[in-house]
Amino acid sequence: MKYEYGLWPESNWQSGGIDWRKAKKISAGVDVGTTSTQAAVLCDGELFAWSNIRSGIDFGYAAKAALEQALGASGMKAGDIHQIAATGFGRKNVEGAAQRLDDIQCHGKGARYLFGKEVKTVVDLGGQTVKTIRLYSWDRVADFKLSDKCAAGFGRSIEVMCNVFHVPITEIGSKSLDVEKDPEPSSTTCYNFANPEAVGLLRPGYREKDFNDNEILASYLFTIAWRALSTIGKIAPLDIGDIKLEEKVGFTGGLAKNPGITKRIERELDITAATPKYDPMLAGAIGAALLQ
Amino acid sequence: MNKFSSIFENRHDYARDWKKRSGGKVLGYYCTYFPEEVAYAAGILPVRILAKHFPDDTTDRLMYGNCYVTRDMFNQFNLGHYDYIDGLVCLESCQWWYNAFDVTMQVFPNLWSHYLFTPDYPDGNRSKDVLRSELSVIQKKFEEWTGKTVTDAELDNAIEIYNTNRRLLRRLYELRRFNNPVILGSEAMEIMLANQVMDKAEANKMLEELIPELEDRAPGEDRVRFILIGSETYDAELEKLIEGVGGNVVIDDLDNGSGYVWNEVVPLKDRLMAIGLRYLGKPHSALKDNVWRRRPEQIFRLSEDFQVDAAIIAKQIYCHPHGTDMYAVWKLLQERKIPYHTFERDTTLPYEETRLGVEALIHVAKQGMTRANGWS
Repeated sequence: MKYEYGLWPESNWQSGGIDWRKAKKISAGVDVGTTSTQAAVLCDGELFAWSNIRSGIDFGYAAKAALEQALGASGMKAGDIHQIAATGFGRKNVEGAAQRLDDIQCHGKGARYLFGKEVKTVVDLGGQTVKTIRLYSWDRVADFKLSDKCAAGFGRSIEVMCNVFHVPITEIGSKSLDVEKDPEPSSTTCYNFANPEAVGLLRPGYREKDFNDNEILASYLFTIAWRALSTIGKIAPLDIGDIKLEEKVGFTGGLAKNPGITKRIERELDITAATPKYDPMLAGAIGAALLQ
Repeated sequence: MNKFSSIFENRHDYARDWKKRSGGKVLGYYCTYFPEEVAYAAGILPVRILAKHFPDDTTDRLMYGNCYVTRDMFNQFNLGHYDYIDGLVCLESCQWWYNAFDVTMQVFPNLWSHYLFTPDYPDGNRSKDVLRSELSVIQKKFEEWTGKTVTDAELDNAIEIYNTNRRLLRRLYELRRFNNPVILGSEAMEIMLANQVMDKAEANKMLEELIPELEDRAPGEDRVRFILIGSETYDAELEKLIEGVGGNVVIDDLDNGSGYVWNEVVPLKDRLMAIGLRYLGKPHSALKDNVWRRRPEQIFRLSEDFQVDAAIIAKQIYCHPHGTDMYAVWKLLQERKIPYHTFERDTTLPYEETRLGVEALIHVAKQGMTRANGWS
């Protein structure tokens, strides 16, 4: 049995158009999450380089590796960076970080960079938790809600289920949308129950008679979306009159790239989410770099 | 300060020592509505059963679905930590406490026990007479158990000692009203918890020495001021975590925090009625705030009086009274523009998640009461 279906591709990028040697301020943010780690390097507030790698079991190593991969062959060394800020669950493990910032303000700030100032609600769909953040003014946090413990392992659970279903993680979302009619969620409590319920649907009999594989995936991913919806629903109402919710929502985090989750949230809330300028997993790292 | 911390940490040794010194009986109780004065007047030391936060592997079968706090209470009996307890009393309270009591009595049937009915509607027309009657029953049971008749003079003495204790502990709370209070929330909570397992006469002497020392302390650091709301707490770990990221709990609305000391027994000729009225008139617990919903206003008043910047609602996982109470509290905090963060306390939840929420709330509060200023 292969256990590679849940592995999402690591990536990095450097800007060809910015001469970092001329920059007055070079700042970096490293977001060490439970599942993935991102580094973002900004020159005078413009994104110069980034990377996105799996955290593994050594957060300190992941932070270092993410920064090295972000810088790549750009010629810039870690020592050339004026200031580094760390965020994420593993933020204490980032060597050389001058600041350790909480995820909420970093994701809020980073989301504004990715989506523009129109975004008032940011939903971070992460490997461990869902964080809903309500912003006001340019980057102020008005309110936030974190998922409770029943959603712990939120994104990570999908990696596990990809291995069970033998479906690559990059395809699970689109496959789950390829159904005639969306079934009910396999559970409305949390992924701990959703996983075994979905696996139960694979039993002989159910699989052929009642559900095809895509419907099982749809039912499972609807559960994950449902968990996110419960967190979004707890956020305080945005009491600013005529601003419409549908113009103001941005998804960040790894699951923001999974249409099986985002489309279902959009459908339930009757919104169309904003499109990010860069990889939505970078929000925390960019926010940390900007907040220095 | 260290004396209280030490007693709290070594509370079982304290109770064993008290028993040796006095020759009296030790009675365990769970709920904040237990009228301690009646037991104290009978020469009994009432000790609040406190949980410890560590996972257990013994209660799953008997107490599946209970909150971890009540599971741990039973677990501690199992482990022999409460081997000095002579009796156990359970009140009309949350169903998890009742189950903890029930299971403990099944496993330790030789413990003296009593079930005390306390009205679910403290403000109901007949509640005071019902509780008066229940107190009369438990007083007789204590007399039979100890072989000692409780006199009015002994009840008066117990009332005075407990009222003094409440007044002294209120003074601790008053110190926290100032800017940069001289006492941290964690220190205050350890004192509160130590008081709930101590002989109040001894606790009063220690408080009378401690409070002037605290008053002479230099003001503390500038910190974001929090109110802590939610299920009962059994240690000061959360307060310490909050202090570690620049906050301070200056006031709480917890049953074994401010709810334990906020009102006194007003002396009446009918002593049991006076004691009953104190417990019915105390700030409502979530479980007993059924119809009139007085808690949200009480929380708001405390928040105003102690000038809090933000609120933390910490519910023990599976705590049903606070699970239903939270919605009314959220509504009030939203209406009154007080930033808040809610989370579930659970021994299996990593500290980092809790810390993240508190840090983010501090960030929101430092922006300057965002809801009050408008969000445009």
